[in-house]
Amino acid sequence: MQGSEFDEAEFFRAIAASGARALLIGRRALVALGIPVLTADYDFWIHIDDIAVFNAAVEPQGLFPTRTPDEARGRGRYVLENDERVDVLVARSVSTVDGVRVAFEDVWPRRRTLEVAAGGAVAVPALDDLILTKRFAGRPKDFEDIRLLEVLRKEDA
Amino acid sequence: MKRVAPPDPGALARVRALTERQLGPEEARAALAVPLGEAEEEETRSLIRWFRRRYPTPADRLAYVRRAYHRWTTARP
Repeated sequence: MQGSEFDEAEFFRAIAASGARALLIGRRALVALGIPVLTADYDFWIHIDDIAVFNAAVEPQGLFPTRTPDEARGRGRYVLENDERVDVLVARSVSTVDGVRVAFEDVWPRRRTLEVAAGGAVAVPALDDLILTKRFAGRPKDFEDIRLLEVLRKEDA
Repeated sequence: MKRVAPPDPGALARVRALTERQLGPEEARAALAVPLGEAEEEETRSLIRWFRRRYPTPADRLAYVRRAYHRWTTARP
């Protein structure tokens, strides 16, 4: 099957230009930092007040939300999809599987910005925070990713 | 290249259940407590160094993974 004409560079540029407080998390963030892992989707953690702005930014890429902003706020997450899939976390805070509370308002100021396209950048959490986000779902593969991130931390020390 | 038969759906479902399940707090703490082995660390460092050398910018890396994922999905039997 031919995919849609998804332009990843434009996708990131549009998010950056929108002003939405959006953090790239998940495996795509690992890739951007320098860890070669495969992934099918994009994962973002965005500020709970920026859902509409974020959705409007990616709509030209044919990405449409599965829930209204109010529903998304109630559930804490939603998905944008067409041939691509973007999982969006909108909770003010999330607890890791082992009970550590992680708040967006704490993580956002510590973010790093990576240039991912000409004129486009994406924000990723600081490494310690990215590791914490990997403990949200707490699946075996997330703990494997944490081991990769720990090596990356040593590599960059 | 010789194509191999895909695993049966039941086997795939069992693998998915294992990899997608959520660990409990104690299991999570135990997983975090396992130290990196020397060989594992060196192998991972080598992989990271290759990836960053071959694909020096975040944009290069993201583009590579999109290509690699496409190759992987189209080559699956």
